[in-house]
Amino acid sequence: MSRNLILRESQIMKVHYITGVAALFVVAVHILMRLVVPYGSSLEYDHVIFNYHNIFYAVLLEVILVLVSIHGFNGLRVILLELRQSTRWENSVTAATIIAMIGLVIYGTRTIIIANGLGT
Amino acid sequence: MGVLEQKNNRNNREGFLGWLDPTRYGWERFSYWAQRLTGVFLLVYFVGHVYETSSLTSGKDAWNAMLELTQTVWGHLFLIMVIGTSTFHSVNGIRLIFTELGKGLGKPGRPDYPYYPSSLNRRQRSGIWIALILAAIAMLYGSNVLFSGE
Repeated sequence: MSRNLILRESQIMKVHYITGVAALFVVAVHILMRLVVPYGSSLEYDHVIFNYHNIFYAVLLEVILVLVSIHGFNGLRVILLELRQSTRWENSVTAATIIAMIGLVIYGTRTIIIANGLGT
Repeated sequence: MGVLEQKNNRNNREGFLGWLDPTRYGWERFSYWAQRLTGVFLLVYFVGHVYETSSLTSGKDAWNAMLELTQTVWGHLFLIMVIGTSTFHSVNGIRLIFTELGKGLGKPGRPDYPYYPSSLNRRQRSGIWIALILAAIAMLYGSNVLFSGE
C-alpha cells in the first residue's frame, strides 16, 4: 500500500517544475506590491500589518510559502541525492527535507495568521 | 616512457583543485553548478526571510530592531545578490524545463571531429547568456531602488 503512495522521481520532477514556474508568478506579484509604494515606506510596520490584513495578500503569502518550500527543499534533496547513492541515505535525505519543509511552512503560516489578526 | 610509467605518472593530474578550476568548465557545466549554487543560496535566504518576517508577531519594536539589522549597506548588497541569483535561477530554470521537454536540443548526428555536442547549440548557449544578462539588469535595477530608497 505504501508503495502506491510514493511518487516516482519523474513525477516529483514534474512537481518541481510546476512549483518553480508557479512560484515565479506569485513572487513577482509579491515584489510588485512592494514597488507600488516607495521602498522605505513599504517596510514600515503599520504598512506591512495593513498588507497582512488584506485576506488576498495573506493567501498569496501562504501560496508563496508552500510553493517555494516544496520547490526549495526538493531541490536540496536532489542535490544531496547526487552526492551519494544508497537506500539509507536516500530515505534519510527525503525524510529530513520533508520534515524541514513542513516545519518551515508551519512556522511561516503562524506568522501570517498572527499578523493577519494583529491590531484588529 | 613505458605504459606502466605512464599509468603511474600523476604529474599531469590536478586532482581536487582541477575539479574546482572553473576556467575549463563548458557552458553546460557552468550552468549546472550555477543553478545548484543559486538554488541553495536562495533556500538559505528564504528560510532567513521567513524568520526575519516572524519578528512582526513580536510588535513594532521587534520589527524595527530587525530592520536595523537588514537595512544597512551590507544588507542591501546581500539583497542585490538575492535579486541577481533569483533572476538567473528563474531564467535558467525555464531553459532547463524546455530542455527537459526536448525543445532547443538540436538533432542528433554522426559524431565528427572536433566533436561539438549538438545538444549544446547556439540556442542553449544563448539561453545561458540571456539568464546572465537579465540577472545583471535586475541587479542594477535593484541597486537603484535599494540605494535611492525610492
